[in-house]
Amino acid sequence: MTAAGSAGGGTAGEGAPGTGQVADQGPGLVSGQGPGRVPVSRPVAQDVTPVVVRLKLSLLRNGLRQSGGRRAAWIGSAVAVLLFSALQLLGLVALRGNAHAESVAVPLVAVLAVGWAVMPLFFPGGDETLDPTRLVMLPLRPRPLVRALLVASLVGIGPVFTLCVLVGSVVAVAHGGTAYVLSVLAVPLALLVCVALARAVAAANLRLLSSRKGRDLAVLSGLVVAVGAQVVNFGAQRLGSGGLGQLDGPAEVLGWIPPASAIGAVHSASEGSYGTAVLQLALSAAALAGLLALWSRHLTRLMTSPDGSTLPSAQGAAKERTSTGLARLLPGGRTGTVMERSLRYVWRDPKTKAAWVTSLAIGLIVPVFNALQGTGSIYFSCFAAGMLGVQMYNQFGQDTSAFWMVALTISSTRDAYVELRARALALLVITLPYATLVTVVTTALIGDWPKLPEVLGMSFALLGAMLATGAWTSARFPYSIPQEGYKNVAPGQSGLAAAAVVGGMVSAALLCAPVIALAIWANVSAGGDEWSWVLLPVGAVYGGMITVAGLRLAAPRTARQLPEILAAVSKG
Amino acid sequence: MTSAVSVRGLWKRFGQQVAVAGIDLELPAGKFIGLVGPNGAGKTTTLSMVTGLLRPDQGSVSVVGHDVWRDPVAVKARIGVLPEGLRLFERLSGRELLAYSGRLRGLPGGEVDRRASQLLDVLDLAGAQHKLVVDYSTGMRKKIGLAAALLHNPEVLFLDEPFEGVDPVSAQTIRGVLERYTGSGATVVFSSHVMELVESLCDWVAVMAAGRIRAHGPLDEVRGAAPSLQRAFLELVGAQGQDAGANLDWLGGGAR
Repeated sequence: MTAAGSAGGGTAGEGAPGTGQVADQGPGLVSGQGPGRVPVSRPVAQDVTPVVVRLKLSLLRNGLRQSGGRRAAWIGSAVAVLLFSALQLLGLVALRGNAHAESVAVPLVAVLAVGWAVMPLFFPGGDETLDPTRLVMLPLRPRPLVRALLVASLVGIGPVFTLCVLVGSVVAVAHGGTAYVLSVLAVPLALLVCVALARAVAAANLRLLSSRKGRDLAVLSGLVVAVGAQVVNFGAQRLGSGGLGQLDGPAEVLGWIPPASAIGAVHSASEGSYGTAVLQLALSAAALAGLLALWSRHLTRLMTSPDGSTLPSAQGAAKERTSTGLARLLPGGRTGTVMERSLRYVWRDPKTKAAWVTSLAIGLIVPVFNALQGTGSIYFSCFAAGMLGVQMYNQFGQDTSAFWMVALTISSTRDAYVELRARALALLVITLPYATLVTVVTTALIGDWPKLPEVLGMSFALLGAMLATGAWTSARFPYSIPQEGYKNVAPGQSGLAAAAVVGGMVSAALLCAPVIALAIWANVSAGGDEWSWVLLPVGAVYGGMITVAGLRLAAPRTARQLPEILAAVSKG
Repeated sequence: MTSAVSVRGLWKRFGQQVAVAGIDLELPAGKFIGLVGPNGAGKTTTLSMVTGLLRPDQGSVSVVGHDVWRDPVAVKARIGVLPEGLRLFERLSGRELLAYSGRLRGLPGGEVDRRASQLLDVLDLAGAQHKLVVDYSTGMRKKIGLAAALLHNPEVLFLDEPFEGVDPVSAQTIRGVLERYTGSGATVVFSSHVMELVESLCDWVAVMAAGRIRAHGPLDEVRGAAPSLQRAFLELVGAQGQDAGANLDWLGGGAR
């Protein structure tokens, strides 16, 4: 086997110049036997599975060893997930005997599978053993490698959680001896399908994930989670009012889709339709085989061809970027230049874009969804102003170490003031119309038009306060935003970042106190309602005034502390 | 002879480690000046402090007679910088980056665009001018960084490892531009650990090792009797005679 292995390695290597050793040698063969050289390692013919599993465990352990914070976070999330799994398990067990048990269990497993499929796209860096290109220099055959990686994927919190859900699901739906026997097959099968699905998706998209566009995409994951949570929340409330019977139809269909079909099989067996049960189980098994074949093929191709980062980008000429109409509307000088760059970054920089889209989405969803559900208050629309104002925080951190280009052109307090003012203006170009829109929409949904000027005034005051505190904390507490991955704070600076944002928001709320006091007075005093419109101009003017004050306070510090700010934002 | 840069008693510590241990240096104006030294000698730290990007623990720096920390208005308008290890605004295209950088320095828009076009042409970046800088190769990044540093025609240009990771063709282009630039009487200060390059480009060198200046002066003076700058440098930093091969006999071939 070993002799044949080295011959095969040679031919595969020729087909892929530059990538080196390939998947065609015997497992564990670690020798390079050139002519006239002493053999350095002896060929060992043993299975790689334990090695890869140990590698995964070591990676996990070393990751935890890196810092106490990380260990605490991991243990915290592990405990949370385990508690959640236990509750889920209990809930599903309690569902046993309920007429709609399978209508919950089957869609639940289907949702779980979707989660497994999407996970590698958003967290490509989450599991290093997930990245087969790291193993590319090792002489491994695809088949043992697939087996080893599959087993390694079963190690972790995710699989434990999945196992709990699956066990709970079969407990909920299984009745009778045949069903119990089928369950023993169905649970591992469904688990393997989930894991193989994640691996296959990751391998198929590795090209994309290791390219810049793919990494840009990954950064948007936070947004999907945030918006997804809101949608799930909304759906759950609907379901709570409508009853579980609504799920019967979808569950019927999902029962034929792997890996949910494995649970469907158990249910069918419980009802006595053994033919259907076997068919459904076979579907899951076929899906597993198909996924493994697909994964194995992609793996072989990944390991025998040059990886994307070494290939010249054959995208052709980039499209010409002409100055947009917006640029011509902006003022000249430093103000317009800085505004244009800030606005371009909102669209082009994945981190900035993700932060903006999240702010815009949540700023809209919270007041509008609450209004739709009838639990909302018109004052929730101030949420939009608050969320968007957060973008003013850590302005220089958003520049990353490119801040040196700014630092080299700031030589006076005046320069720093113009720079900060331009950034605030760029923010207002988006924020002001958006906050107004959200307020108007929320008012329309609630139908309380007389309150509109008052709420708008409060929104503007809050926005001004956020800009003022944002400018000041940008100068006082800058921190780095790592460009890779989905973290928003560099290691070691999270305390600083949290203090800056939380402290800033509290001070912003305090700064708004006069306007809030006026609003309360207008609401409680007799005849105050007639004067509530005054809050609109008062809020707007007050907001503008504290913004200017905040910028004036931040500018001298920025101009004085340029090297310190640069050092603080260059850690990512 | 007037000094382009004058450094006095410059110190910088990072925790326990002393990065720059008391530098005194007078760099003559109108010269092509090389700051050479092994990795970790403190070249980047020194250049960062000279350009105002890093605050020194002690000491003073003045550029064309203006103190970097007390008179930033006069200094920042007169210097161009290409730092090492710091990003550019990578989500702008090459042309947008130049337009941004030039306007930020207060040059009129039309003039910025005219100069940017010429620089992009000369540096062979015209074909990639609408590509985002994030998609540029190392050599292209160095060239666009150089263009941004030259745009306002500074009196002194500071370049940190401008040839690091640059292919020979781009290196030749950069060389041509820099030679043209010093021909007009401006000063270039650049750091490198490639001796051949420094020897062929510079007329004035300063040798740095372990945070101190070991030798400085016109190239011929520093080179002295040694056959090449490389030799002179190895003697200066005391790296000669280290027999690296003695213990690696399993590599075969025998010690040469």
